[in-house]
Amino acid sequence: MSYSQTFTRGLWKENPIFRLLLGLCPVLAVTTSVENGIGMGLASTFVLICSNFMVSLLRDFIPKKVRIPAYIVVIASFVTIVDLVMHAWFFELHKSLGLFIPLIVVNCIILGRAEAFASRNPLSLALVDGVGMGLGFTLGLALLGGVREIFGSGSLLGFPLFGAGYPPVLVMILPPGAFLSLGFLLAGMNRLEEKRAIRAGETYASPREMDCGSCVLCKLDENITDR
Amino acid sequence: MKSTLNMALRLSLICAVAALALANVAEVTRRPIAESEARAQREAVEAVLPPFADLAVDTLETEAGSPVEYFSGVDDTGITGTAFTSVSGLGYSGEIEIILGVNPAGEISGVRILRHAETPGLGANYADPELLNRFYTGRRFNDNWKVAKDGGEVDALTGATITGRAIADAVERGVARYRVDKDRIKAELAPVEAEGTSP
Repeated sequence: MSYSQTFTRGLWKENPIFRLLLGLCPVLAVTTSVENGIGMGLASTFVLICSNFMVSLLRDFIPKKVRIPAYIVVIASFVTIVDLVMHAWFFELHKSLGLFIPLIVVNCIILGRAEAFASRNPLSLALVDGVGMGLGFTLGLALLGGVREIFGSGSLLGFPLFGAGYPPVLVMILPPGAFLSLGFLLAGMNRLEEKRAIRAGETYASPREMDCGSCVLCKLDENITDR
Repeated sequence: MKSTLNMALRLSLICAVAALALANVAEVTRRPIAESEARAQREAVEAVLPPFADLAVDTLETEAGSPVEYFSGVDDTGITGTAFTSVSGLGYSGEIEIILGVNPAGEISGVRILRHAETPGLGANYADPELLNRFYTGRRFNDNWKVAKDGGEVDALTGATITGRAIADAVERGVARYRVDKDRIKAELAPVEAEGTSP
């Protein structure tokens, strides 16, 4: 697979949020504003790039049978580093995201890329994949944060949009608003993808269900031999 | 057996390297984190106190619960005001922690919210400094610390009475504790200011 394909795949075709529906816990929880979305996205991107790098670098060193604990140690270390650095130098952002930073550890997009991509690809490709997936994740968070901030607070990036007369649709910055916005955005994305496929004369395939039938993680085990 | 040992060794090695890296990062960030915390605390104290030249910190042990820190603003004329934190558990979702300042005349000089988990757009609107100034600044210790709806004197936002009640409760508790501790609070300037205050 080429570098450009690896990179753009994360942005659209396999966008973690809108196509793979991975890592939804932080996605739904922190996207009450664009700023929070971007902050969370960039923090996750950093962790993703670093963990992809380490996992790819150590892919021949990590014994297959204990690879998951090894990945978790790597990921948790980078998350802690992000947490400490943010606490030290981005105090305000840390205050608003604080609770969710440690949760990056269990963000399945990061473990997912480590397992499904970084552990079986060379360093350079793993890095490109981390950047692409991370930016795709950030893009999705920013988009969702934007929609919710515009409707729920009547502002964008903190600047009021509609003047004082606008009554904010409160539900949009409350938890249900996260599900509503994500649902509409997903529907919109699928519609766009369908139109594009029809125009290009391809048959439109709806996004794969992330169920046991299409998940590859367990099947990997079948080919694993003891080292 | 050999492979098991190998596996354990390699995993331990990874953990050891990770621990080493983390120890280094923790060491490097320790000072900046302490400074950020101290700065945030200083800003909060400045926001609720009348202007002052120096800040004196005194930690008093209380009979029940954790020790309380009193921050006294000091200038040539003496103490300009004292700031301290207070917590109420009556919030709509969890605790609300505030910092409040009182002046020697027995008035509230300012209130700010430090920590809360109230509903965005409703209870969270109380975090607005102007609003808190309007509701609390200038109130006297003996005021009836209930919201207007409960027959008191404190204003609350329509549709967010519970949060308003919790903030009034935190202020009332804080004031009550301050009046007990008042004569014990020392306003001596710390000889070394550079270390910052403990978070």
